[in-house]
Amino acid sequence: MRYRSQSVAYWYFALAMILFGLQLVFGLLSAAKYLGPDPLLNVLPFDVTKTIHTNLLIVWVLTGFMGATYWMVPDESRTELYSTKLAYIQLILFALMGVTAIIGYLFRYGTGNKLLEQPLPHKLVIVVCMLIFLYNIGMTIRKSGRFTATEGVLLGGLGLAAILYLPALLEYENYTISIFYRWWTIHLWVEGVWEMIQAGFLAYLLIRLSGADREVMEKWLYVIVGLVFIAGILGTAHHYYWVGVPGYWLPIGGLFSALEPVALVGMAIYAYSAIRRSGLAHPNKLALHWAVGSAVFTMFGAGLLGLAHTFPSINKWTHGTMITAMHGHAAFYGAYAMIVLAMISFAMPSLTRGRTEEGTSLGYWSFWLQLGGMFGMTLAFATAGIGQVYLERVLGLGYLDAQLKIQVHFVMLVICASIFAVGVAMFIIDFFRYAPSFETTREPEPEGQRLAAAPRA
Amino acid sequence: MNKRQTRQFAIWSTVAASVVFLILTLDTHRQVPVLTGEITPEVTRGKDVWHEHNCINCHTLFGEGAYYAPDLTKITQHRGEAYLKAFIRDPSNFYDEQQHRRLMPKQDIPDEDIDALIAFLDWVSKVDNQGWPPRPILVTGATIPGTALSTAQLTHVDDHAAPPGARPVAAGNDPIALGEHVFRTATPSCTACHSIAPGVDMAGPSLSGLSGRTEQLLGGPDYKGAATDLASFIRESITEPSAHVTPGPMFSANGVSFMPDTYGKDLTPEQIDQLVAYLSTLR
Repeated sequence: MRYRSQSVAYWYFALAMILFGLQLVFGLLSAAKYLGPDPLLNVLPFDVTKTIHTNLLIVWVLTGFMGATYWMVPDESRTELYSTKLAYIQLILFALMGVTAIIGYLFRYGTGNKLLEQPLPHKLVIVVCMLIFLYNIGMTIRKSGRFTATEGVLLGGLGLAAILYLPALLEYENYTISIFYRWWTIHLWVEGVWEMIQAGFLAYLLIRLSGADREVMEKWLYVIVGLVFIAGILGTAHHYYWVGVPGYWLPIGGLFSALEPVALVGMAIYAYSAIRRSGLAHPNKLALHWAVGSAVFTMFGAGLLGLAHTFPSINKWTHGTMITAMHGHAAFYGAYAMIVLAMISFAMPSLTRGRTEEGTSLGYWSFWLQLGGMFGMTLAFATAGIGQVYLERVLGLGYLDAQLKIQVHFVMLVICASIFAVGVAMFIIDFFRYAPSFETTREPEPEGQRLAAAPRA
Repeated sequence: MNKRQTRQFAIWSTVAASVVFLILTLDTHRQVPVLTGEITPEVTRGKDVWHEHNCINCHTLFGEGAYYAPDLTKITQHRGEAYLKAFIRDPSNFYDEQQHRRLMPKQDIPDEDIDALIAFLDWVSKVDNQGWPPRPILVTGATIPGTALSTAQLTHVDDHAAPPGARPVAAGNDPIALGEHVFRTATPSCTACHSIAPGVDMAGPSLSGLSGRTEQLLGGPDYKGAATDLASFIRESITEPSAHVTPGPMFSANGVSFMPDTYGKDLTPEQIDQLVAYLSTLR
């Protein structure tokens, strides 16, 4: 840690860890309900556990993004944060918002609008937090006068994420229109601006960890961002199949969604070639595992598994089945969970006392158990989904009967999810077992930093 | 390309994609009211009820939502209003959690809200959504012959808790119904080679229009067989397949039918009677 104010990141990461753990509790509960019968039917039904599971994901990943940004921006701009006080106020507000929203969901206090279940007051608090955050980061960069391309991409992503949340604040008379704008927020987040954020963190990590040349890395970063948006913006069309909007969204969705993997494959090649060519071996190999793992798993989960069901003639049969859950889990985990875990793994040795730079063996166990568990879960969803599509959609077997015939895949899901949960528990234990310590060091700039971006006014 | 050029690429490709997207968004706003039809105050109220009860986090509409409960896009076309009302009041009267492994919790929705919810679901079912789903998505049962009873229902045939739709074939049923059951369940199954759909010749010829064709054959001048009426003709065809051979090299060779000649001893006389009764109905 070079700057004292980077220590705020620790508390963001700590909150993210707690919420991540909770997310899994509700995920496992939801999965168990697929095996049924459900002893909690009238206490904690599936709709509640599922809402909490998906909302906690969004909240912890955003918390992780914010913490990681507070960690990265001082490093990139070579300055203290503009205000640590604002950062703490923002964290407390965000934590309160998250916790009260979860408690509210237990009592069905929510909008009942998929993924945007947060009640209006909570949505407003999210907006306020985002504004505080962007102001604080913006002022930090302004103060330093040093604005790197990596930061530019990251900030662009965060700013657009805030703007794209605005349509979610409105209510729409027409259900089809409300679906239309749901995906302005959710799709353009996860397949647009969040990928900018991921790419920004990835570039930062690769420059630090592999010592790759900054000019080259940032040049390719722009190419990736361009590719993400060419495909991602019009790729929103794949959420507009069969929902009551004009038919031209079908061919547009088929074409541009097929292009989406291009950027993700590019990102994986980018990460791999950076470590292959690196002149400097950073000791934090665990963070490198997570960073490269994120790029590769994104290519698999978001790219390949997305492509698997994105053509209209295939989606006609798979739409709204376990196939979607297969893609959703692998994509979110690879792209967003893993990149946050990468940033945490990178930052932790300098935020805690007594931790080795290389990463602990518990940390590596956690990496491989999580990866194996999530891969197994993805396969369980995939096999369940293929069975469901064939029995229910193609042959015409009733939904409930088809679900009974694919029970074995739900058993596999619960087993793999448990392995995954053990991996996550290890990560959380590894996070908290070393006491935080916020001593600044003035280590020499790593090799890759010598070719730093020119300061911009 | 240098860094400045790649930055230009990133910016301009984003701008271009955004512009196209916004133009299409405007056009979508223009077309959606026509595609989705009229929204009455009751439909709007129903949409609110749908949201208040968090329905979308188990069910899907237009295939969107959660995958724990059936898709409801076309539910008002599959189930009448009276059924839906009774169902929403208390789902446990309709499904057994022990059998189906999951059950919808009782929602306690006031009756006027239930009416509104059904109006909303009916509005959804009429939205022009490119004809999705391509085949009806059923809640239970099946459109495939022979799977009309689910595994759970079949294993609970004697259980009084079996749901209303569960009606297994019993000895006292009409012989035609019993014959249809034999047709599907004999070993080897008749359905493995014979379709009852017109023109669908599998390993054996289609049995569509069997009785009409046979009666014509029996009355024709070229008929030399022993059987004199429809029933005895069908019976003979089952027990001695080579007695009446359908022309064509894929059905017989040297006057010997490819159909197994084992049914005469493997089926009981009653089963053959039932099969004859069923096949006689194929006109």
